[in-house]
Amino acid sequence: MLIDINTYIGHWPFRQLRDNTCKDILNRMNEVGIDQSIVSNLNGIFYKDVHSANEELFEAIRASGKKSDRLVPLAVINPIYSGWKNDFKVATERFGMKGIRLHPQYHGYDLTHENCVTLVKMARDKGLPVMFSLRMVDSRPSSWMDISKEWALKDIMPIIKAVPDAKYAIVNVANNSQLNVYNKDEMELFRNTDLVMDTSGRMILNLGEMLRTYGTDKFAFGTHAPLLDHITGLLRIESLRPEEASLQDKILLNAGNAKRIFSI
Amino acid sequence: MTLHNRRQFLTGAVATVSGLITARESLAKVPEKALQSLPEKPAAKFDLMTMVKKYRKIDSHAHVYFNSPDGDAVIDIADRLFIETLSISRPMVPGGKGDPKEFIEANNLVLRCYKKHPTRFLPQMTLNPQFQKESLDEINRCVDAGMVGLKLYNHVKMNDPLFYPVIEKFIDLKMVILMHMGIGKARINYDSREPANVSIPGDIVEAAKRYPEATFQLAHLGGGIDWEDACKAVQDVPNIYVDLSGSNNEARIVDCAMKYVGEDRLLFACDNSFYQGVGHILAAQLTDVQRKKIFFDNYNNLLKKIGRNVN
Repeated sequence: MLIDINTYIGHWPFRQLRDNTCKDILNRMNEVGIDQSIVSNLNGIFYKDVHSANEELFEAIRASGKKSDRLVPLAVINPIYSGWKNDFKVATERFGMKGIRLHPQYHGYDLTHENCVTLVKMARDKGLPVMFSLRMVDSRPSSWMDISKEWALKDIMPIIKAVPDAKYAIVNVANNSQLNVYNKDEMELFRNTDLVMDTSGRMILNLGEMLRTYGTDKFAFGTHAPLLDHITGLLRIESLRPEEASLQDKILLNAGNAKRIFSI
Repeated sequence: MTLHNRRQFLTGAVATVSGLITARESLAKVPEKALQSLPEKPAAKFDLMTMVKKYRKIDSHAHVYFNSPDGDAVIDIADRLFIETLSISRPMVPGGKGDPKEFIEANNLVLRCYKKHPTRFLPQMTLNPQFQKESLDEINRCVDAGMVGLKLYNHVKMNDPLFYPVIEKFIDLKMVILMHMGIGKARINYDSREPANVSIPGDIVEAAKRYPEATFQLAHLGGGIDWEDACKAVQDVPNIYVDLSGSNNEARIVDCAMKYVGEDRLLFACDNSFYQGVGHILAAQLTDVQRKKIFFDNYNNLLKKIGRNVN
């Protein structure tokens, strides 16, 4: 079984995307043998009222018909925009969304903003994971109108410290991934938190080594498609040598850890 | 921000801290329920590694490092991804003077790695035309030692007259000139580590039009450069090849390169971002013939001109 924890529908304002509809995602899943994909809507990054993007995603998946159970939606919530608590309630209860995605850099708040902490606690209380991307796109070739700051893994730590008993998914690990270099206490907290990192990011340089450092429960297959290509994240797993990852380890990376985090 | 870079990875410096839990120990944290609901085997519908193995590959843009002076780390990951041959160079330090001492040491490192792995590496030299005589002397020395091409960095723009004697020399040698491309054009303000003399696509285009007999390689379309801008800049310049290397594996890079540059002028390369280099070519909507051209044939045809092709 294979689950991609990091896919999108929607548009990116600075570059034309392709394969960015539910139908496209399903075609890609069939090509590569992916059983389920965790999907959110890129438009939620750019709409001021982000909940419109959740409505779009809900409708798009429903329109996919019988195959819709293969697409698992995540809601984008902006906790500094009016009505966010109701957005969360509608998205998770009426729309059945299996977690939330937060985009603090694009939406303009700190991870320790009291509303953000409250929202993460609300997700925790419902057993839903909270997903962050260290970057959405490579800032270097992006537009002058796009944000330029990218996160490293340590930048996620403030919210993990604030709500250590929530579930997290950290995707597109594109910058420094060596927590232990900075702070062994943070490393210990990170390892004791119920979280996964996906395999799409460029700093998943040596997954075999990272499995030893962080644990086999800390990684899950993800593509970040259609922003990134849909093969590289899988290649990092499939090219692991037997001494780096057992069959059991690969089962966890391909699907087991995703099932645990997203309760699917 | 301190980046954990490819260099650290290749030298095995990825953190291994004593006392950390092992993968096996961490399995204990996985709830039984999650394991029980899993199938016995991973997905087998799509055999990615068979697909990876299917295509012969020459990496047209790779590097070796002073802290891994025999190139073994590069060979190890090349073996993992079935890359049989790699064109290697050792770029000079960003922001450095790039004097003869530095480029001679860099070239000596490349030759040491080549000596250790003569059937896997194709050595490329580097130089700085601000040191004209020393650079021309270094070309002779490196060619005599078996080098097959030139890798340039950001000391002088590709279209600067300082480069003319170097380009003319490489026309005679029939060897490829691989030029670094500057990061930041898309953002208008260049990346802080790029000096004023860094080449942008328009510079290599100007040089290529002045010297249509020369063969140029525009570096790392996925290396943080504005890849759409680069593809459009070189679309009508037949003596510029484009390598697809870099850490940025945005999904449409190969599509864009196919649209503007075409299947005959694209070169597989990783610039040591090996997974992305292989992955985004496999992910692109290409025919089998197109993949073979990009992974192997196009660069091998350039090597044939100097009798150094891979059989």
